[in-house]
Amino acid sequence: MARDDAMPTAKKPDDFDAFWEDVLGQASAIPLEPELVPDPLRTSDDVEVFQAFYTSIDRVRVAAWYCRPAKRAERTPAIMFLPGYQMDPPIPKEWARKGYIALSVAPRGKLRSMRQFNPGYPNLLTHNIVDRHTYAYRGFYVDTWRGIDVLLSRPEVDPARIGVTGSSQGGGLTITTAAMRSEVRAASAGAPYLCGYMDAVELTHTYPYEEINDYLRLHPERRRDVESTVAYFDGISFADRITCPIIVNIGLQDNVCPPETGYALFDRIGARDKQLYPYDGHGHDAGRARHTAVVDRFFAQHLLDGAART
Amino acid sequence: MTGTGPAGFEAYWRATLEGLARYPAAPEMEKLPLRSTPFATLYGVRLTSVGPYRLFGYLSIPTGTGPFPAIYYPPKYQSVLEIIPQGTANLQRSRYITFSLAARGQRNADTPYAAMFPGLLTEGIDDAPSYIFRGIVADSLRGLELLTTRPELDRARVVVSGNDIALITAALAEGATHVVAAPALFHAAAELAPKTTAYPLEEINDYLRLHPARAEAVRRTLAYYELRAFAPRVTATTLLMAGAPGTLLDGRALGPLVSALKGTATVHESEQSLYKDGLYAERWMASQCGIADVQSILPEHWRK
Repeated sequence: MARDDAMPTAKKPDDFDAFWEDVLGQASAIPLEPELVPDPLRTSDDVEVFQAFYTSIDRVRVAAWYCRPAKRAERTPAIMFLPGYQMDPPIPKEWARKGYIALSVAPRGKLRSMRQFNPGYPNLLTHNIVDRHTYAYRGFYVDTWRGIDVLLSRPEVDPARIGVTGSSQGGGLTITTAAMRSEVRAASAGAPYLCGYMDAVELTHTYPYEEINDYLRLHPERRRDVESTVAYFDGISFADRITCPIIVNIGLQDNVCPPETGYALFDRIGARDKQLYPYDGHGHDAGRARHTAVVDRFFAQHLLDGAART
Repeated sequence: MTGTGPAGFEAYWRATLEGLARYPAAPEMEKLPLRSTPFATLYGVRLTSVGPYRLFGYLSIPTGTGPFPAIYYPPKYQSVLEIIPQGTANLQRSRYITFSLAARGQRNADTPYAAMFPGLLTEGIDDAPSYIFRGIVADSLRGLELLTTRPELDRARVVVSGNDIALITAALAEGATHVVAAPALFHAAAELAPKTTAYPLEEINDYLRLHPARAEAVRRTLAYYELRAFAPRVTATTLLMAGAPGTLLDGRALGPLVSALKGTATVHESEQSLYKDGLYAERWMASQCGIADVQSILPEHWRK
């Protein structure tokens, strides 16, 4: 594909900022009530593992995994890991082994966070998609943003050295989190999903985006409402708010998140310090085998000892 | 079965099959208009497995007269049940019957039992008779059994595609003509787990760290699931998706398994690209099933 193909059709709604300010206002009224429960089964000599829980908007209790290096500084940098669409949020021990405190969030609907909200998979992507005020990703996004508050509530976390990362849906959530949480000092987004929704459903016919095509096949009269809703949730609409250093990797043969949407997203990112890594010959892995070292260096530069502190 | 299984291996699995046979599948099929297209109709299927336990699957039948080849997706190691694997062109459903099954504990089959990931691999692992995967294997067998009752099916072209469960299913059940398997759980698990910190095998390390006295019991249970022990019963033509060279489950590590397979086997070592590996598997299945125009059922970004 040519990079010039990357022309997003989604337009940022005029009241985009007002919509999200209102959502954040609702969320701020909900106490976080963070809780860490030691998990001796998953804890090893080098990594302490906890099951984490906190309360998010609509008073949904959200689960997460919290890992910290057994040997750490009084103030340790932190990484928040965000999950793929159908991924079961992993225990982020590897990040802890690299010297970070790591929080792996299970937003509502995910395993361990589905008691109060469970639209299912497939279905999450189109759950209440005609109404931005109740669309599934409204709460889902807030859940991830409040993960930053969980990190900030921990005395061992250095609040000036927090990063966020993930791939696929985790990449999309990385974009929205970096946009909405100024505490994020570095972000790495892989194969970002939830960016260019309505372009993606034309460019590819694979799940999970295919859920929208399924929905519109059955309910063609609702297209305008769908388009209106997803414009508020499109990562491309959030991108200009990002100011922290950020790297994005995409696969040029990505069959899940079309690379055209990755290019379109990258062009809209507001940060000056941004770098795109397009991997030819790669699909939804977005070059992970090679790119992992790039991500490690990026976060080490921005978050580990020696990084500038404010 | 042949030599690599533990004493009682045959009896263990014979009893599993007998236990399954005691319960009729009692299938219920419900058309799902939301996921049906002009080229395929999707059904939600409920069926009973050993326990008894009620399972759920997605069955897609192509539009037309058939008979059609089929791809059976047995339970994966994740909570979510997909209609077809993420990233697969929906048009795959125009040429193949597809059937994906949620085993006990997975989404849509998670009441009364909900599985945890990580956690499932070691659930009851110190007691082979009640190990959770005994039921999961039975579930997978029940799924294949149901698929092979479909009148639209071409029984000469039935691919079972998944992880270790795919291979075990092909070994224990009639009906699989082809297998695509990416071992991740049960190939030399007791030996390989200490060499990695990556899940899912890390679950075994976690478990033994907390319960070191149970190491021998775990080893005994895993022996009943050792893929090499099943291999002599696998007559289906098999594609093994190995890890990249130098990784834990690369082609070299899978060598003993390949040698033990009764049917023809091809090994594809990962090129560390979901595009290249996925394209290889799609083309392999299509060629084995006599589908000449595989291009038409590939994802848009994989077509050339």
